[in-house]
Amino acid sequence: MVRFDRRLLFHFDWVMLLLLVMVCAMSLFNLYSASYPPSPYGIAPYLKQMYFFALGIVVMVVICLVDYKELHFWNYFFYVFVVLLLVAILIIGRTAGGAQRWIDLGFFNLQPSELAKLMLVITLASYFSRKEVVDGYTIRQLVVPLLLTMVPFVLILLQPDLGTALMLVIIFVSMAVFVRLRFHVYLIFGVSGVASIWLAWTKVLKPYQKMRIQTFLQPDKDVAGQGYQIMQSKIAVGSGGKFGKGYLEGTQGHLHFLPERHTDFAFAVWGEEWGFVGTLFFLGIYFLMLIWGLYSSVYVRDRFGMLLCFGIVMLIFWQAVINVLMILGMLPVVGIPLPLVSYGGSSLLTTMMALGILFNVRMRRFKNGREAD
Amino acid sequence: MKTKQILEELEDITEQDEAACSLLRGRTFLAVGVIVLFFSIIVMRFWYLQVIQGEEYRQLAETNRVRIQSIAAPRGHIVDRFSREIVTNRPSFNVALIREDSIDLEDVIKRLAPVLDEEIEVLWERIRAGSADPPHLPITLKEDIDWQTLAYLENNKYKFSGIRIEVQPVRTYHYDDLAANTIGYIGSISRKELQADGEQRYEGGDLVGKRGLEKLFEPYLRGEKGSRSTEVNARGFEQQQLQVVNPLPGNDIRLTLDAELQKVAEQFMAIGDKAGAVVVLEVKTGKVLAAVSTPPINLEHFIGGISHKNWQALLDNPRHPLINKVVQASYPPGSTYKVVTALAGLDTQVVDTNTEFYCPGYHRFGNRVYRCWKRGGHGMVNLKQAIAQSCDVYFYQVGQRVGVDRLAHYARILGLGEKTGVQMEHEKSGLVPTQDWKKRVKNEKWHEGETLSIAIGQGFNLVTPLQLCVMTATVANGGRHFRPQIIESIVTPDGRVVKSFSPELVNELSPREQAYVDIIKEGLLEVVHGKRGTARGVRIEGLRIAGKTGTAQVVRIARYKGLADEDIPYHLRDHAWFTCYAPADDPEIAVTVLVEHGLHGSSGAGPIARYVLKKYFSHRLQTEGDNPEKSLSLVSE
Repeated sequence: MVRFDRRLLFHFDWVMLLLLVMVCAMSLFNLYSASYPPSPYGIAPYLKQMYFFALGIVVMVVICLVDYKELHFWNYFFYVFVVLLLVAILIIGRTAGGAQRWIDLGFFNLQPSELAKLMLVITLASYFSRKEVVDGYTIRQLVVPLLLTMVPFVLILLQPDLGTALMLVIIFVSMAVFVRLRFHVYLIFGVSGVASIWLAWTKVLKPYQKMRIQTFLQPDKDVAGQGYQIMQSKIAVGSGGKFGKGYLEGTQGHLHFLPERHTDFAFAVWGEEWGFVGTLFFLGIYFLMLIWGLYSSVYVRDRFGMLLCFGIVMLIFWQAVINVLMILGMLPVVGIPLPLVSYGGSSLLTTMMALGILFNVRMRRFKNGREAD
Repeated sequence: MKTKQILEELEDITEQDEAACSLLRGRTFLAVGVIVLFFSIIVMRFWYLQVIQGEEYRQLAETNRVRIQSIAAPRGHIVDRFSREIVTNRPSFNVALIREDSIDLEDVIKRLAPVLDEEIEVLWERIRAGSADPPHLPITLKEDIDWQTLAYLENNKYKFSGIRIEVQPVRTYHYDDLAANTIGYIGSISRKELQADGEQRYEGGDLVGKRGLEKLFEPYLRGEKGSRSTEVNARGFEQQQLQVVNPLPGNDIRLTLDAELQKVAEQFMAIGDKAGAVVVLEVKTGKVLAAVSTPPINLEHFIGGISHKNWQALLDNPRHPLINKVVQASYPPGSTYKVVTALAGLDTQVVDTNTEFYCPGYHRFGNRVYRCWKRGGHGMVNLKQAIAQSCDVYFYQVGQRVGVDRLAHYARILGLGEKTGVQMEHEKSGLVPTQDWKKRVKNEKWHEGETLSIAIGQGFNLVTPLQLCVMTATVANGGRHFRPQIIESIVTPDGRVVKSFSPELVNELSPREQAYVDIIKEGLLEVVHGKRGTARGVRIEGLRIAGKTGTAQVVRIARYKGLADEDIPYHLRDHAWFTCYAPADDPEIAVTVLVEHGLHGSSGAGPIARYVLKKYFSHRLQTEGDNPEKSLSLVSE
């Protein structure tokens, strides 16, 4: 099972690792500031995040030891495991913020919906690589992957966690478009998309979710209530100006005006303290990391590996985009973290696992040739 | 070995895989495009928020972070001409609620109500009134609590979460209601006043002058507010003090009033609850030494906002305490107006010192009979005698010959018929009627007979007590008319004079007119000192006083004629005037007294003027045992 080769080390993606370490270092610095002054109770978030980062490295190494093709096999267990967790959470989950999202494991609260995102990427990559269609998938051929998506989607929606559930849809659509679809499928997707938005608004959405969307559309209407978060986030980012207020000097975050300042809105703290220049630098590194991930996939010689790389990059990309657009007041407040930056063990571990798979695929692409790094 | 391995691996890759992968590669480039697109949008948005709108958001963040609380500036003091403090400040302890600090508001209010001696519902009413403000702003529940309540609240702080004691400077009145109508009071700024405040010096809850000098000199008295900037977190908890700007106390106002003289005048007016006014002017400068209006308003009632009950009582009081009768009420001058008629007669050569008229007790004009106040008549009288005895018939004759318009001219040069320009609000200009005036206002022709009434100060004539005092002072001063002034100077708390007011000569009579005035002065001296003078009761040993009595008719109804004074209903009784100056030979002060419904000038108003003079000259008169307290008891008998 474990076939380790010295050349694996030779083909290890050191550039990606450098970018990853840079992003993580910046995010830890930022978390320190976001939770400053340190609370006397419990472990400081930046420390906890550091532990999870270390744990994530271990998990990455373990993942790299196994050929990613084994994931075809392991994914059955992973899928069932995650679905069971999602069911369990509905029964025993810990309520926070009006939703059941965590399972208390004592040392940390496991958030299975984070795992579900990665699980879906692997599942779809596995399915699409095995059921290959050259001139685009028909709707019939999409029934199975759709069902595979719907199960965790519905379970997460029941928590309710609309943001993460929609994330699954976005992953599915991204990957389906990636493997090419027939024209009528696009049509059906379009129509059912509009229909489900209508249905959701009239039947499914809970009042607080509707409120969030309404607030987003008219954030100035009530600054003290729901629009408050968006407004405060924009103030934080905007007040950073060109060069920022300086590290640990941000007032919006430290004086608690910024909500969720070390989780969903962590990047607003960065924007406030480092300004436009710092933001540009961070986004640049993040952008390089994503592009580098896709670049890796270009040289992969098998479909499964390619789909994995693509799915993982998209998973990180879409979360990042949604999170940052939310911070900038361009999207409603949905609980989507900025991967590697927002505080949260489940999200960090999942992202590290995903990146582990990315490293794994890249390490093993030498099978086909001698392309230089 | 190496080659073999490579070959092995090559087997893993199928032709099909290769083709499929190249298809996917195209899609990968599409994905790169999507990523670039979204990152561009994000970067542009950051550019917009941070670079283009950065300054605005920086200010918003500051507003978020910095809480600025203003510190009330101590209001300027009001002192009398001898620097006696009339109005200063003292701390008032107010009970305020900070809603966001309160844990169990319902219970706290329930416990607090009996301590503050207020209804629970009343407290809730106040909380609701302030509920539109952010929860970190204090809502005042009760102002100016006493020491006992303060001590209790301080000792039982733990029982009252969210309740805070705030200290605010409020007015304190060292002479109680001294010159209350003139000084006025302060109160919470109204919405209208706030809107009118273009410079945004004020904020809700500020105390501003509402009436009297407090209002008129608000810009000097208010000082400049200080501020305390603190950094707060999103919950409004204070993190650190950033800056404190100390308030600048307001400027002090030094009045021309003599507080002790004013006090004596008020005390005498208070006996029998007289409604009316007393004005004392310094003859040679026009400075107001006393400006009494009774009944006074109770200034203490206005601290912390007057209650509805007290306000209604003020409005309902038939003696109109809210009107400053010194300048805001005008009355027919009665016989005091004969000074004007006399001057007019002399200056128009209608009469001279020796001209005599016979007074049979009435004067027939047209088909009407105009009565003299003395039924039996005065017989043959000359000008001096006519003034001394206040002979109406004599002045009917003079008035008839002079005519209403020429009378008006002399009234005006003596300061009647127009605002004196003293620094007091809502001054009335009085009324000096002319033919033209009647045509314009009433659209009626002037009747000759009306001139006769005017000549003795009845009819359309109206004067304020201050105007009459100015007239008296002008006569006393040989025709030099000074503008009355009540403010000596405005001084900063450290004694620097900001603004000082010097006596202003409005006009001066011609030498010829001055000579006539001297004749009139002789008559006025006779009023007090002559054998038949109408105000002999006013005499003070060792002081020569010149004056004139007056009775202003309220109604002219025959059925009250002949009734005993006390049988006439209060509101229909005549007003009593007495106006005088002393010493007659070198006048220092002029005193004018008006007692509403006081019946007769000599008995109703004269004694008050007498005591004021006595007080003023007390250090020069060797009258033993004649202190104000004793005099008080004399008058009340």
